[in-house]
Amino acid sequence: MARHGYKYSAGKLIRHGLTRGDWPRMWRRPEARSSYDVVIIGGGLHGLATAYYLAHNHGMTNIAVVDKGYLGGGGSGRNTAIVRSNYLTPEGVAFYDRSLDLYNSMAQDLNLNVMFSRRGHLTLAHTDSALRTMHWRAEVNKLQGIDSSVIDPQEVKKQAPSLDVSADTRYPILGALFHPPGGIVRHDAVVWGYARAADHLGVHMLQETEVLDILCEGGEGPDGKGAGGRVTGVRTSRGDISAPAVVNCTAGWASLISNMAGVPLPITTHPLQAAVTEPCKVFLPTVVVSGSLHVYVSQTDRGELVFGASVDPVGTYRVNGTLEFTEELAGHVLELMPGISKMRLLRQWSGLCDMTPDYSPVMGTTQVDGYFVDVGWGTYGFKAGPVAGETMAETIATGRDADLIAPFTISRFTEGDLVGEKGAAAVGH
Amino acid sequence: MNPNRLPVRPGEVIDRETSLAFTWNGRPHTGHRGDTIASALAADGVDVFARSMKYKRRRGIMTADHWDPNLFVQVGDEPNVRAGSRRLVAGMEVSAQNVWPNLRFDIGAANQLVGRFLSSGFYYKTFMRPKWLWHHLYQKVLRKFAPGGRIHWETSTHGAYDKRYAHPDVLVAGGGPAGMGAAIAAAEAGASVMLVEHEPDLGGHLRWGDADDLAVLADLAAAVESHPGIEVLVDSTVTGRYDHNWIAVMQRSHEIAPERLIKARAGSLVVAPGLIERPYVFAGNDTPGVMLSGAVRRLINLWAVRPGTRAVVLSANPEGDAAIADLEAAGVEIVAALDARAGEDIVEVEGRGRVGNVVLGDGRTVSADLVVIGTGWTAPTSLLNMAGDRPVYDPTAARYFPNQLPDDVLATGGITGNGTTAELVEHGRATGTLAANRALRNRHDRRSSTARARSPEGPIPESLHDTRASLARTPHPECYRSSSHGMVDFSEDVSSKDLVQASREGFDSIELMKRYTTVTMGPSQGKLETVNAAAVLAETRSMDMVDIGTTVWRPPFAPISLGALAGRIFEPIRRSALQDWHEDHGASPLLAGQWVRPDHYGDPVAEARNVRENVGIIDVTPLGKLDLRGPDVTKLLELVYVNRWQKLDVGRVRYGTMVAEDGVVSDDGVTGRLGEDHYLMTTTSSGAGAIWEMLEDYLQTYRPDWNVHVTAVTGGLTSINVAGPRCRELLLRLVEGVDLSPDAFPYFHVRRGTVAGVPDCIIWRIGFTGELSYEVHVPSGHALHVWESLLANGEDLGIMPFGVESQRILRLEKGHYIVGQDTDGLTKAPSAGLGGLVKLDKPDTLGLPELRAAYARTDLPILVAIQTDDPEVVPMEADQIVDGDSNRILGRITSSRMSPTLGRSVCLGQVDPSLAAAGSKVTILLIDGRRILGTVQEHHAHVDPEGVRQNA
Ligand SMILES: Cc1cc2nc3c(=O)[nH]c(=O)nc-3n(C[C@H](O)[C@H](O)[C@H](O)COP(=O)(O)OP(=O)(O)OC[C@H]3O[C@@H](n4cnc5c(N)ncnc54)[C@H](O)[C@@H]3O)c2cc1C
Repeated sequence: MARHGYKYSAGKLIRHGLTRGDWPRMWRRPEARSSYDVVIIGGGLHGLATAYYLAHNHGMTNIAVVDKGYLGGGGSGRNTAIVRSNYLTPEGVAFYDRSLDLYNSMAQDLNLNVMFSRRGHLTLAHTDSALRTMHWRAEVNKLQGIDSSVIDPQEVKKQAPSLDVSADTRYPILGALFHPPGGIVRHDAVVWGYARAADHLGVHMLQETEVLDILCEGGEGPDGKGAGGRVTGVRTSRGDISAPAVVNCTAGWASLISNMAGVPLPITTHPLQAAVTEPCKVFLPTVVVSGSLHVYVSQTDRGELVFGASVDPVGTYRVNGTLEFTEELAGHVLELMPGISKMRLLRQWSGLCDMTPDYSPVMGTTQVDGYFVDVGWGTYGFKAGPVAGETMAETIATGRDADLIAPFTISRFTEGDLVGEKGAAAVGH
Repeated sequence: MNPNRLPVRPGEVIDRETSLAFTWNGRPHTGHRGDTIASALAADGVDVFARSMKYKRRRGIMTADHWDPNLFVQVGDEPNVRAGSRRLVAGMEVSAQNVWPNLRFDIGAANQLVGRFLSSGFYYKTFMRPKWLWHHLYQKVLRKFAPGGRIHWETSTHGAYDKRYAHPDVLVAGGGPAGMGAAIAAAEAGASVMLVEHEPDLGGHLRWGDADDLAVLADLAAAVESHPGIEVLVDSTVTGRYDHNWIAVMQRSHEIAPERLIKARAGSLVVAPGLIERPYVFAGNDTPGVMLSGAVRRLINLWAVRPGTRAVVLSANPEGDAAIADLEAAGVEIVAALDARAGEDIVEVEGRGRVGNVVLGDGRTVSADLVVIGTGWTAPTSLLNMAGDRPVYDPTAARYFPNQLPDDVLATGGITGNGTTAELVEHGRATGTLAANRALRNRHDRRSSTARARSPEGPIPESLHDTRASLARTPHPECYRSSSHGMVDFSEDVSSKDLVQASREGFDSIELMKRYTTVTMGPSQGKLETVNAAAVLAETRSMDMVDIGTTVWRPPFAPISLGALAGRIFEPIRRSALQDWHEDHGASPLLAGQWVRPDHYGDPVAEARNVRENVGIIDVTPLGKLDLRGPDVTKLLELVYVNRWQKLDVGRVRYGTMVAEDGVVSDDGVTGRLGEDHYLMTTTSSGAGAIWEMLEDYLQTYRPDWNVHVTAVTGGLTSINVAGPRCRELLLRLVEGVDLSPDAFPYFHVRRGTVAGVPDCIIWRIGFTGELSYEVHVPSGHALHVWESLLANGEDLGIMPFGVESQRILRLEKGHYIVGQDTDGLTKAPSAGLGGLVKLDKPDTLGLPELRAAYARTDLPILVAIQTDDPEVVPMEADQIVDGDSNRILGRITSSRMSPTLGRSVCLGQVDPSLAAAGSKVTILLIDGRRILGTVQEHHAHVDPEGVRQNA
């Protein structure tokens, strides 16, 4: 990987332990140049992965990743880190499976242990119609070589003994879709891994630098923005930077940023809330998702239970969180696992999700030359980060939309070709 | 017994008359009522309560209150109990958690030897090769180190909790002198007040103070408790402040519930939580016997426990000095009293199970068993954070202070400054008056501004300005770290050295540092650690503390049990008015969404046959039913359905399909026109709630000018479908006022009439089963009578009730699709075979643009009827249709059953358009791997495609 990086290993750990020497910085705090070949807005997983693959796969290193806060301060540092590839449409499966591959070798590729825990992913079915959908997904997945099957309540109990699988509950567990390769990853480590590897390849990470405008010329809108125009750079809180290519990787803020280029997006921003309990000795081996109850739960290696739900119904940029979220969450989780009633909720938080009408991203080139988007990641952008970075890098380097992202281009909204992953993506994470 | 118990102390809270027996790690102990678990054990001479998370270091009492990171224990099936605040109850089985094999000897302590290799984030840098070892070994070992107690998932208290709503004018968080002052003044100003105190007793820091403090406390508490306008909640915590002063209070000591969540809409919130004492960073600062000054004062004065015998005290403030006096009074020898204000310091503590030697700043080493630290305070600003405030650091006073608060949130007491008890009370009083005034004024304004309010009586409360004199900010030295390194986060085992390293590695903002080292991520959420962490970062980066900021404190203020959040179980199951009858007559229950329904009464196939041959009745109440009235109903129907509604005459019924904005079929049902401006709309059972909300949404936001009233009547009308060739004969015996002859009442018409003597029933002719059938909507109060009358009068006609399963068989024979089963999240209208129903030339319909595009396409799958070539094989619903021997997917079976009428298997399925023509052969991949052939049929209906039976 890294050309002039400092490699981590058990040996290094011992050497540093013995000498008590400092570890080198994972990334620098560079001075901004006045121009770059590519400016990526958003220092989350998607922006950093795009930068890394541009440098690593395409040899483009004169790149800046600009973020108004700190690296990973957006959704990338707030998500519940579930990865899986048991989607419903062939497009979805192909895309997310590539991402899972990249996660699988990420620790080695980036030389940072991202703690990918392939612990298995259970999607519970509480009704016979849900069970039918699980069968459907399992059959599609199997035909595409994805490890995914429907298991009965006894097998569910074996996978997650704390679940109440008795028949007389309000939401009886009739079975589950079991996806052994799914699991969780340490989300921050993924951000740092890409940042460190990109830094080693020469990419500049400009933190605490807010993009205030995207500079364009020749477009049909005001200030040369909009269709038919081209990008010339960005205006930031620390001055202008010129660049022939600008990439929008700003997730929850994506539509605001896109307006700066005169490219409106069919995206609304909704908060998604999550919460974590105090740690307890590890007792939950798999990820458990219940679509009917709008919850999912996994236990970290530190023993905390991490909970998530569906997006808040009302669009807003506020991330305060609500009491009702925790009440409903607790009620639903206890329907599944009544035995954890004495565990305590430690912290709740919320992040912004950029929702599209068809629960699929908007990626690739746009009607403004040099302006690229990698947005609309909603509640599922973590698992897609690596493949999104890889395909966006290809798209930027070649100027043509990569094959894997063909279903996700912006033109689908005007051509009546929405993607249908609502069923598999809504709460599924 | 109790070797460390002191003679009676003036402010002690223990009842020496009582003796409560409990066990600690299996050994018997006793304590008194009023003891905490920790004070009882400390009185019995216990020093070590826990092992630390990573290095398994021995840990003892540090703060002796709720926030003590070293006092997490297991009590019976409850993990993570705070022994520092949990009151002792007889019979408790208390044990150390997270130790193996036991507290005295823990194998994991070997980590201390290799601690130098386990610096922050070490796991990110190793365990990468070989890859399989990570999955199979390393990760499992790491997971074993997870801290915390044990879950006993076989036992549960789910459902035993309760909730309450409250609407106080003023809610005061914190029952110390300032909080009590605020409550009294607010109540005197006429406000209703709720005073919430975390501890079981009012008083805050006065509780462990001197005689004067105790006297003031007694007076204040008496005033608070006797004022009728104040509700006092002790042993209760304000855990969150949400938008519009929506306040969460967790009440722990309540007679009937283990915990109760009180949700309060407060006019004003007064935040008076006092200050939390902060640890000091030096080598060995986590050794048992190193305690904060507040801890020793609480142990001595509240529980009469002598915390040690020979003490070194490091003090930077009057409270630290007061600890010296208390220690002396308790007979503890003061080996060294160090004044941090004069630059005196502690560099290192040695000792494993207990403090042994103490290395002082001047180089001396003294022997002691107790080190007392009084080096400063942290302002617990969580509730202010939740109200949007970002507190600011003041280097002179060496702590953070509130910055900008909204009008309905006020702070008082130690969190805002220092003062004598009288000054604190006075500031509290001024704050209480202001809070009450603002709340009352707002209440007045709100009442007088609502549309129908009469002007409220009484004088308008005048608006007060905030003229409170601020409390002083007494100068305090910035004592964060000695010249040595030590623990910053005790629950996470994060040292100052870890933080320095993290900063140098690039994690040099407080948020990144927190994420990398996990500092402040533990159970106290930074209450003890945040300021020290910021100080170390500032030191490393040579920055001012002011510029470092702090991490954002998120709710809850203190962790809350999931059971309490969930409260009582309100997950009702809906039952039709006939469900009791069904169950009494052998129906096997089927949970379908919110409803429980009869799946069948024993033999679904016989029930289905009987409908084809005689007559059957089914309870279809869960069908969503919306009563629509007003002159603009047609416009609404035109908007939400893909088909046309302009020319529906009174007395007619029409089938409609809805699509979402993406053109995907979302719901369907029939709507009948009962009168000029009156319709009854039906939806799918599962869609009932969502469709109602959607209609309201469009009516309220998109077309508020339309005059339509929507009323949900799903449960109010019990729906009974009477189906089968002999059903007209049956109804002729029971229906009055309606001409049932085929010409007078044809298919897809609606009438109102009397059924079995019940007037005003709605009857329409539709046919999900494919038979002649009438659906009767009866006011639910009379449903059982009508149902039983039908059965009684149909006996000679062979009547039988039938359930959901036979209905599924019948509708599949007839080829009717079910939205959500035969269609899915991808199925656009043309795929569902809706062909001509959809009117693309309508001016406005939901999903129209997408539908236009969909109709221009030729590649969308199509819903067709399929029969397997081998009539005996019934594929599973969800079996895939593939391209010959390959794995290319060309469709799937969406419904399948053995048809009793045809004696063969029948299916519906979605197929690629290339396979949609009648006679096409499809390959069905069965779940067992076999591939079988099927044939696409000409019509969706396997039985009676011409509709002779239903039109009879
Ligand atoms: C609570 C929660 C749980 C989730 N759970 C999962 C899950 O389990 N699995 C899954 O796959 N996905 C999950 N997601 C979704 C996932 O987190 C996101 O889709 C993903 O992190 C998006 O990454 P990103 O890099 O595109 O955006 P982000 O990480 O949000 O980064 C965007 C960055 O843009 C920066 N920015 C914004 N405006 C500007 C500006 N004007 N100038 C400069 N910088 C700017 C922001 O500071 C931010 O750092 C979850 C999301 C949330 C909120």
